[in-house]
Amino acid sequence: MASIGRLLAGVVHEINTPLGSIFSNNDVLLRSLGMLDELLADGRPESLEKARRIVATCQTLAAVDGIACERIRAIIRGLKTFARVDTNEPRMVDLNEHLRDTIKLTEAEFRRRIKVETDFGDLPAIECFPQMLNQVFLNILVNAGHAIEGEGTIRVRTSMERGGVQVSISDTGRGMTPEEQERAFEAGFTTKPVGEGTGMGLAIASQIVEERHGGSIWFESQPGVGTTFYLRIPAVQKRSPQR
Amino acid sequence: MNQNGHRRTSVMIVDDEEMVITSIQAFLQLETDFEVQGFTDPEEAARFVENHPVDVVVSDYLMPKMNGIQLLARIKEVQPEASRVLLTGHADKQSAIQAINQVALFQYLEKPWDNSQLMLVVASGGERSRLFRELREKVEALDSAHAALKNAQRRLIQAFL
Repeated sequence: MASIGRLLAGVVHEINTPLGSIFSNNDVLLRSLGMLDELLADGRPESLEKARRIVATCQTLAAVDGIACERIRAIIRGLKTFARVDTNEPRMVDLNEHLRDTIKLTEAEFRRRIKVETDFGDLPAIECFPQMLNQVFLNILVNAGHAIEGEGTIRVRTSMERGGVQVSISDTGRGMTPEEQERAFEAGFTTKPVGEGTGMGLAIASQIVEERHGGSIWFESQPGVGTTFYLRIPAVQKRSPQR
Repeated sequence: MNQNGHRRTSVMIVDDEEMVITSIQAFLQLETDFEVQGFTDPEEAARFVENHPVDVVVSDYLMPKMNGIQLLARIKEVQPEASRVLLTGHADKQSAIQAINQVALFQYLEKPWDNSQLMLVVASGGERSRLFRELREKVEALDSAHAALKNAQRRLIQAFL
């Protein structure tokens, strides 16, 4: 669960880059307008030629601003899904959409060290507590990223299975030893150095998936090859009174 | 060559984000006569410096394949006189200290950056590199003059003996 703090640092970095571009472009646009004013007043052919070149540059920069804003919006959208608090009642959501937002957030931390590939099946909206599931996806994704030394790939797959949605997240990381596999869901068990992992990530994940959603979570892991986590979430939640 | 008879200041921008390069390039082209090269791939940038003189290198820190400190270290080996600048959105003290100690950084800038400050850093970095180059050339000229003098002295002594 310590991942949120680190992830936020990554998000800040990810926002500062497009923001830097926007600030710079705005400054250049202001300077350009000043120059254009003078060049147009001057009116000589070479001044007009220079003015045209400046206008072309400004057009490029305005287009870059659009891309930069779009980038920031996507990051903020990802953050918002986490900020919202789940009510006691489950909501109908498209899990693919939530996975996409969560993956977007991890990109900040993974940069291009890790490629995230998605293979999303056609999913109906299902009843669930989306913020809780986002937390689960985030924990598994961040774990997968930590398991990969250097460059690697994470594959996220979704499909409709009997009565529910199945999500699988596989990494090309170092895999777990038999002892680690045995204790993976144990509260407080971590392979990370003190201060980096709390050992609560998977314990909470299993609580959210199994107890809150009546689903199941399991994994397959092979040392040196990688790990795949599977989550099965039922399409319909039991109503509160029946729980 | 520019009006002062110097070679134009050559600036290299390395960032895996194309938009950063576009922005800085547009700014420097508008306000200076510097020659600006942009690279999104640090390995390509490292190859470029092997046979092109560069005065100032502005590099991002977090990039795939090679980080900014590794890149600046490679550039330092090939062109020790180039002024090395790190421009990063990942403002942690660790990377700053590492950069200063390992690659003798000229300046450390944070994203979002301020154009006026960037210009000051790039211009003074260019000036610094030019002075270092001139100093090296002068030292080399002095060395060869010294060697020539020594040689002449040796011949003189031989002639009298």
